[in-house]
Amino acid sequence: MVSSISLSIDSDLDKVSLLARAVRALCEDLLGPDDQDAVELSLVEAINNVIKHGYHGERGKDVQVAVGLQADQVVIEVIDHAPPMPAQVLDKAPEDTFAFDEADLADIPEGGMGLALIRMNMDEVEYHSGDSENRLRMVKRIAPRSQ
Amino acid sequence: MLSTDLRDNILVVRVEEKRIDASKAPAFKDEMTRCIDSGQNQIVLDLSYVDFVDSSGLGALVSCLKRLGPRGSLAVAGATGAVSRLFTLTRMDRVFVLHPNVDAAVEQLSA
Repeated sequence: MVSSISLSIDSDLDKVSLLARAVRALCEDLLGPDDQDAVELSLVEAINNVIKHGYHGERGKDVQVAVGLQADQVVIEVIDHAPPMPAQVLDKAPEDTFAFDEADLADIPEGGMGLALIRMNMDEVEYHSGDSENRLRMVKRIAPRSQ
Repeated sequence: MLSTDLRDNILVVRVEEKRIDASKAPAFKDEMTRCIDSGQNQIVLDLSYVDFVDSSGLGALVSCLKRLGPRGSLAVAGATGAVSRLFTLTRMDRVFVLHPNVDAAVEQLSA
């Protein structure tokens, strides 16, 4: 089975949960509850990043999400027309984000965790920026059903 | 979005929203900050009604912890499923003590 759907929202943080819940529902038959959680969180983090950092919180910009349901994987692409993510953000290893010293209050992160969470929750994460759009491609593989 | 209850000098704060995400985190942080600034330094945060927290929500929790300072404590009660896994994944379970329910958290803090 291969099917795909495109969804879009206005760049408004209040609308992100609506889209995330819709995509979660699309994955219900293919992924177990933990993997649905992983997809929902990754998608929310990806869209929040676009709205907060790409569009600087400005409403009225578009955020598109393409969902591909395949036999062995779910592919989710978040497409925006904001300035691209800076290279230093993309280069940071996810484990470094959470290697803080819990005994030192000042060292515990309050932000900058989104991309690390996406990388830890998805099986593949790729970012492409072209002339007119950025595309974050996230893949969750479907675990084979145990008999 | 919060309701509060004082038990043995410990403030129990219950989150009455299903999601603490980027759209709700600022209001959550403001309401929590008011509780902290009114002099409460032992707080149990009841997340049993919450089924989704993103990194903005988690960041707001960390911000509250910093506001409380080293003499205060912020314990988390009733986190399950995706919320509980977020704490583990981000290693924030080393920062916030997670309790199965409010009673267990209050007992631990008042001991």
